[in-house]
Amino acid sequence: MAQETGFEKTRGVSRVEVRAGFAQVHVRSLKEPIMEGRLKLLRAISDADISIDFLKLTPDGFSCLITEGQSEVAARALKSSHADYAVATGRSVVLVYAVNMRDEEGLIAEVVQEAIRSGKAIEHISDMHDRMLLVTLSEHADDLKDCLEKDLVDSEAGGRR
Amino acid sequence: MKIKVMKFGGTSVATPESRATSVLRVISTKEQGYMPVVVVSAIGRKGAPYATDTLLQLLNEIDPNVAPDPREADLMAACGEIMSAVIFAHTLKTFGHPAQTFRGGQAGIRTDGIYNNARIVGINPVSLHKSLQSGYIPVVCGFQGVFVGMDPGPGGELTTLGRGGSDTTASALGAALKADAVEIYTDVDGVKSADPDYVKEAPTLRKVTYDEVAEIAHLGAKVVHPRAAEIAMHFQIPLWIKNTFTDDEGTEVVGRDQFPGRRVTGVTHTGKLVYLQFDLAQVAEPDRVLIEGQIYGTLAKYGVGLFMLNLGPTSTGFAVPRDQYPVVQDVFDGLVIPQGVKGVEKVYLFQIGKEPSKEVETQATLLEGLGPVIRVTASLTEACTMVSLVGHEYLQQPGLFLRVLTVLHEKQINVLQTADSDFSLSVLIPESDTRRAVSLLHDRFGLHDLN
Repeated sequence: MAQETGFEKTRGVSRVEVRAGFAQVHVRSLKEPIMEGRLKLLRAISDADISIDFLKLTPDGFSCLITEGQSEVAARALKSSHADYAVATGRSVVLVYAVNMRDEEGLIAEVVQEAIRSGKAIEHISDMHDRMLLVTLSEHADDLKDCLEKDLVDSEAGGRR
Repeated sequence: MKIKVMKFGGTSVATPESRATSVLRVISTKEQGYMPVVVVSAIGRKGAPYATDTLLQLLNEIDPNVAPDPREADLMAACGEIMSAVIFAHTLKTFGHPAQTFRGGQAGIRTDGIYNNARIVGINPVSLHKSLQSGYIPVVCGFQGVFVGMDPGPGGELTTLGRGGSDTTASALGAALKADAVEIYTDVDGVKSADPDYVKEAPTLRKVTYDEVAEIAHLGAKVVHPRAAEIAMHFQIPLWIKNTFTDDEGTEVVGRDQFPGRRVTGVTHTGKLVYLQFDLAQVAEPDRVLIEGQIYGTLAKYGVGLFMLNLGPTSTGFAVPRDQYPVVQDVFDGLVIPQGVKGVEKVYLFQIGKEPSKEVETQATLLEGLGPVIRVTASLTEACTMVSLVGHEYLQQPGLFLRVLTVLHEKQINVLQTADSDFSLSVLIPESDTRRAVSLLHDRFGLHDLN
């Protein structure tokens, strides 16, 4: 007699984790043509051998995430390119795991809503097939993680919704 | 007992000729010493007489204003796979190979009971084993199972598995039957480096990892559903994507330990999107949480899918599928949120687009005298699409995003926004430039020679 095989993971958010050690780069006040200004400064960052994540275009520049250890190198590269910039250290990425999140109607919006409700500053959001990634201040990261776990994860079932 | 699960999609069972081709593949597999277990989708693609959408349309056209009950919709939708499976089994019989049809429940597939989007919680394939041992080829209806929890009716409640359900059925049966392989048959040679409608010479990838295939599907390509890939990954079942109509060897989906080591896997594009950017500059700082919470809470309530999320100090933006945009417009345009500690001290009035609609003007008139009315206006970019480079962590090498933006800028393709994750770099561009952008990125990143 065949035995039953257990299957798909529970719906919704299954776990939340924190990755620390990032810095947020903001570039602003670029003059027209803006895209050319962005490309010039992204090249300066690339030439400094710095990998970027979470690139976001803003009306007069861009922002991105780098590892904290590269923040001084990034600042030097941007300074030598005469950019109006800021490099803010002490950033963390909060990862919210939810397999097949696109299949769960409204789940992505719900995670964002809960993150906003936590009152912690969310500087950036991105998503993959099995997780969402939220950038926040490192000092807020554990609180944000706790809030999201409390609101979105059913500890007994390993997920919710 | 060597078992192979073979799943045939809608185009592979659409006509007597295509069914005959599919049946010959099953017979060939049997002749190679395997015991085939077949999974079928409904017959044909959207618009075909017995396709899932056509069957559901029969309910919708009774009165478009009355949505069918999810339970009834599942019963209707499941008919497509039942018809397809019975016809396939009978075709096998006419070729001299006895076959038996199994509904999802008969095949032992138990679900969590969520109509229209159920998940498989367990499979007991005892009936399939019996069928195989009796010399039959089991033909299982994809996309369905039964819920037998709590208060089951006789035989349980039929539930469908949602998007990509037949792929999930095949993969899950492969795990339950401890199959040697699961083969997903379709009308393309396997996973391509780009949509062949956009890049004719896009090569078929010989190996992709489960993660890659899940991310490609997440970003819009219709290859194999991530749920099917996830199950195959978890149970370590060899998963293949093959073309019913050619002898191409297809694509093997493998674990990370067999990652072929390439930098970029492919270029995908997500369909038609509308990008909205809410200007929150006029929203008082203490009210930001309320307003943003309202925006995303409403989107969650209405089940709107979001892409290219963007939270900024004075704005928040996202793209939504164009077919969901009317819901967004309907909900937000003219939405009023009163705010105040002691009664209404101010009112936030939402407006979609530069010019106020009649609805917004009416609300503004009604709100006169109630205190300050602060407009939260969303700029609108219609007709855009998301084009993504998919890969592994190689995508995080310095300068890769710069290359993408440079390539597009050189060809005057306007990038409206960007997004990235561990496995992808995405740009939001005007829909009219999709073909050019996909082809350009495919070319510049050398994807013609991926294998």
